[in-house]
Amino acid sequence: MFQTIDGNGPRSALKRQDVQTKLSRIGKADILVGIPSFNNAHSIGHVVRAVQAGLAKYFPDKKTILVNSDGGSTDGTMDVVHQTTIDDFRSILVSHRIESFSKIAIPYHGIPGKGSAFRTIFEIARALDVKACAVVDSDLRSITPEWIELLIKPVIGDGYDYVAPLYHRHKYDGTITNSIVYPLTRTLYGKDVRQPIGGDFGFSGRLAAFYLTKNVWESDVARYGIDIWMTTTAIANNFQICQAFLGAKIHDAKDPGADLSAMLFQVVGATFDLMEEYPQTWKRVVSTEHVPVFGFTYEVGLEPVNVNIQRMLEKFRLGARELGPIWEYILSRDTMDFLTGLADAPKEDFHMPDRIWADIIYSFALAAHHKVINKEHLLKSLTPLYIGRTASFVIETREASGQEVEDKINKLCEEYERLKPSFIERWQ
Amino acid sequence: MNFIQRILIEPLERFYEQFLTFIPNLLTSIALLIIGVVLGSILRLIFLKIFRAINLDKIAQRIGLFEMFARKGARGSLSAFIARLIGWIAIFIFAAIAVQSLRIPSIENLIERFFLYLPNVFTALVILAFGYIFSNFLGRAALIASVNAGIRRAGMVGRFVKLVVFILSATMAMEQLGIGRDTVLIAFAIVFGGIVLALAIAFGFGGRDIARDYLQRNVNHPKEQEKDIEDHINPL
Repeated sequence: MFQTIDGNGPRSALKRQDVQTKLSRIGKADILVGIPSFNNAHSIGHVVRAVQAGLAKYFPDKKTILVNSDGGSTDGTMDVVHQTTIDDFRSILVSHRIESFSKIAIPYHGIPGKGSAFRTIFEIARALDVKACAVVDSDLRSITPEWIELLIKPVIGDGYDYVAPLYHRHKYDGTITNSIVYPLTRTLYGKDVRQPIGGDFGFSGRLAAFYLTKNVWESDVARYGIDIWMTTTAIANNFQICQAFLGAKIHDAKDPGADLSAMLFQVVGATFDLMEEYPQTWKRVVSTEHVPVFGFTYEVGLEPVNVNIQRMLEKFRLGARELGPIWEYILSRDTMDFLTGLADAPKEDFHMPDRIWADIIYSFALAAHHKVINKEHLLKSLTPLYIGRTASFVIETREASGQEVEDKINKLCEEYERLKPSFIERWQ
Repeated sequence: MNFIQRILIEPLERFYEQFLTFIPNLLTSIALLIIGVVLGSILRLIFLKIFRAINLDKIAQRIGLFEMFARKGARGSLSAFIARLIGWIAIFIFAAIAVQSLRIPSIENLIERFFLYLPNVFTALVILAFGYIFSNFLGRAALIASVNAGIRRAGMVGRFVKLVVFILSATMAMEQLGIGRDTVLIAFAIVFGGIVLALAIAFGFGGRDIARDYLQRNVNHPKEQEKDIEDHINPL
């Protein structure tokens, strides 16, 4: 469960003298764009240029600041941020700036992770009393100056507090989003936010200050859990939310060293913790509301993705063989029987239905709620099941178009919605 | 007459006097034993209720201790087991006091030595209990991590970790009891060192080709690695 606090924590980066000097020199700002980074020297230059161009082109009369919150990069990421600049603004058809633009690149303090980097960005936003903020990933290759307008304008011009991204992604991209986080967020909180953990968000200064009142910076929120925490906190506390269509999301291939089960543990763990935080909110929700979309929607070409299904099936089968006794504490007899049969199924018959998958996720949420086994063991034992579900999804949608895949994800959401009443009953 | 008095009557009189002195001790010890049995039963019931109120079984399940009781053949829950154990400890303590109250010098001496040894037994039991809990917890963590890393013999890795941690705690417990202090330590060091050496040799011989292939592939062509879903797409 999360607690509420006031003020900067003991690990605040703002307590450093050099940071305070920089901030006092800037005074106040209207717009802040944050870029969390860790060893992204080869890609962050493009992101910084896009942000600078976006601010110059769409907000020339606003005082703006770019903050790079770095996790101790050793490849010169912060140097790239300092050195990157747009020399010739005529090439991107923008008028001269009226107000100033500043850049700060600082290493954040606390647990290494994206959430800790965001915390520093929120603290700077509060210190400079900014009106609107945006955060964008440092490994983006498809970011354009228009992203900054789309993420900031709804906050500055239309009074929204939170702008979630909406992208066209490859049908096999964002599998944790598509199979767990999006259906759960939509079903539990009743808001159709398609990319709740997209990574690129816009938000008001008011919401940034609200985030800082929460004492979550020693939990999974300090790592990959930050995205779902920001989205859910905004929804559950009745902040005005909308979506911005940003086109294609193309980014660097995931760091091969990053551990999938750790990622799953942090994201799903944070999602389950939020269920403990807001039970009275999600229990009341019975329908899904459409969330307004800003930006002109268009089709985009996406990079192909290769998937090794055979290796995924092997991992699922290994999990079914070795982790069966642990799953027995968590899953129903029917689901266990199904999984045992599925482990023996050949590749062409491998299919994990939506009903089974939704039941698995709800059962894991209940096991976390009732503290059936150690939380880390519980969530990491979900990895083979998630890989099995992803393999089944890839097999079923091999020939499907983008729209057909969206329809399939919608059907999965409906299954989550159908099982929600019994889930609430078992939660009590 | 004198002879009969000395041979028969006097010993019987002495025995009778001693018996009269012993009777209160015997009655006291019987009473203590009865109190012990009654108190043991009461304590068992009280602790059973306390353990159920604090959901001890659920906690045990969470930390991995439940597995021992969930296994086929084990009777009842952990709460019932510990409550029963507390009851028996109470009965045992009262039985020991009862025996001591008989005031038989040789038994008194034995019991005194036993009571002096008892803290060691208790410490050893605590070490074993914690060892069991840790072995289950770490064994399960190793099993899950191995499965997620795609290690085919994940079950064996989990069992190996569990066994090593438990053997380590058993060694510490035996050292506490003073049983073959050096022998146990040396045996553990030999067995553990042997396992590590065996694994090193096995990896060295069995993995020679794999290591060569790996080095050739990574040193010569660091970017040409096999890709699958986990290193090709972003799941978030």
